[in-house]
Amino acid sequence: MHLPGGHTLVTALVSGALLGGLFAVTALGLSLALGVMRLINLVHGELVILGAYLGYVLLSELGLDPLVGLLVVAPALALVAYPLHRGLLLPLVGKGQEAPLLTTFGLAVIGQNLFIQLFHADTRSLSRSYATAPIGLGGYEVPAIYAISFAVALVVVGSVHLLVQRTGVGREIRAASEDPGAAAVLGVDIGRVYARTYALGAACAGVGGVLVGLAFAFMPTTGTGYLLTGFAVVVLGGLGSVLGTLIGGIGLGVIESVGGAVFGDGYRDFIGLVVFLAFLALRPQGVLGRAER
Amino acid sequence: MSVDTARPGATTGAAGIAASGRGGRGARVRWAGALLAAVALLALAPSYTGDYAQQVSFRIFEYAALGQAWNLLAGYGGMVSLGSAAFIGIGEYTTAELTNHGMPLVPGMLVSGLFAAAFATAVSPALFRLRGLYFTIGTLALAEALRLFMVNYNGLGGNIGIFLKSAAPTTAGLYWLSLGVAAAATGLVLLVLRTRLTISLRAVRDDEDVARQMGLVSFRTKLFAFTFAAFLMGVVGGLQAGKLSQIEPYGAFGLQWTVDIVTVVLIGGLATTGGPLIGAVFTVALAELLSGSPELHLAITGAIVIVVVRLAPQGLWGLLSRAGQWGRPGRARRRPDPEGAP
Repeated sequence: MHLPGGHTLVTALVSGALLGGLFAVTALGLSLALGVMRLINLVHGELVILGAYLGYVLLSELGLDPLVGLLVVAPALALVAYPLHRGLLLPLVGKGQEAPLLTTFGLAVIGQNLFIQLFHADTRSLSRSYATAPIGLGGYEVPAIYAISFAVALVVVGSVHLLVQRTGVGREIRAASEDPGAAAVLGVDIGRVYARTYALGAACAGVGGVLVGLAFAFMPTTGTGYLLTGFAVVVLGGLGSVLGTLIGGIGLGVIESVGGAVFGDGYRDFIGLVVFLAFLALRPQGVLGRAER
Repeated sequence: MSVDTARPGATTGAAGIAASGRGGRGARVRWAGALLAAVALLALAPSYTGDYAQQVSFRIFEYAALGQAWNLLAGYGGMVSLGSAAFIGIGEYTTAELTNHGMPLVPGMLVSGLFAAAFATAVSPALFRLRGLYFTIGTLALAEALRLFMVNYNGLGGNIGIFLKSAAPTTAGLYWLSLGVAAAATGLVLLVLRTRLTISLRAVRDDEDVARQMGLVSFRTKLFAFTFAAFLMGVVGGLQAGKLSQIEPYGAFGLQWTVDIVTVVLIGGLATTGGPLIGAVFTVALAELLSGSPELHLAITGAIVIVVVRLAPQGLWGLLSRAGQWGRPGRARRRPDPEGAP
């Protein structure tokens, strides 16, 4: 452990906060599933990585730039996720919490091994020259992709927030989240709302995956890490809160980045998890306040 | 809005307990007899089988023991932990350190179990503040945090791990040792399931708040199940270390352990006495059949898990006991019927 100088520390703060945008996007779907339908979606990490692989295929086969490819990846993920939910998860609604949890567990195992079958266990990335180039922000240099992904995060989180708060679809989502029984009585098709929410979350996960591929390397098993980061973001930002996801993402990004600067880069994820666990244990009402009376 | 922590069909829990109480003695004698006979038969096997069969059996026995531990915790206790790898890893490292310092393997395994149980006790105040789904997330995060720590921390070999100095037992020796561990784990879990403690365990599982109001000490009940499972997992970790010449954090604390244990128990039958055994046989046999393409095997396993969760919540054991009328009518009701959702 060493205390870094002021400049290093501020750079870590800035890049951590920007990286928080990426965390927020990869966590948003998890937050929606947890907040709206009380589902621990263990296959979420694989959805993120599916997005990364889709971006990879679009880039290598069609030469489509990953940032343009987002327009293909997001709907594609939604199209994959919607029938998945209707076919496998919806029939389990009302059968306790374990059955859906374990179903997504099975899906995660399938997903990871499908990736290995299709893409082998190699490490890949979406290498673009603009992503790795450093840019200066008020005298502090950060990788450009951090700033790009933060901008994408603002757009994605902002759109989902508006969708949930300002549209008819969003009103149904909020109603189903507050009280599924009452919403159903008032004519909300809960199954459709859940499946739509799930698909929306998957689309966000896909966007997150492309950003992950641009910023870092990924392989078939990388998803589990983003599942855990996602939980940390959701817990820090508040369950089911769309804007909270952005705050939680930035919080986690800063914690990991500064922690990495102090304790060494290998400890980044470890510190993130420890803070997450401490938060979970010391402030369960932060999470459970809404979830459990 | 509230998360529905009450398990569906909580009322059938009482009937199940009554049923198991009624049939207690006969079932106990039958189980103990069957277990002893099976162990005696299996103990003779190395005289008639080759190394391959013994190595496969070693894995079956490991998973059977791990499955018994996790089944007690998750199946009967309702604490769906995804942190099994932490306790196995602790067991592996403890045994490696101890045997390297001259302790024989078997005492090393037992101390490893105690170490894992001590770790479980240490983290329980924090983990038990989390209920239901949050407990699951917490255990997953805890195990991953421990793995990342072991990869980065240089005191215990860092990402290279530890080389074991003492020679591993023979294949037959490992076979017998693992048979003993699996039999002991099964026997101990069956014993626990016959005590009063299991009643409080199921009561806490079905509705923790009501159980508390009725004067059951939910914390102590959960702590027992959690540390007991951790002990068994630590012992199996020690056993695994006994087989290896080098242990490293990616394998010892790997998520694959957690994943395997959940699949073994789910496929065998959650909250059934024989589920972990039959699940271990099935999953290891499937892995051997498809050993040419491990990814395909795991993908198929995942698909089987999904089908089992949907169509056969009591797993293979449930299907078999229904088909073979293995149990009396009361036995089938031990686990609250998941179909009876409110």
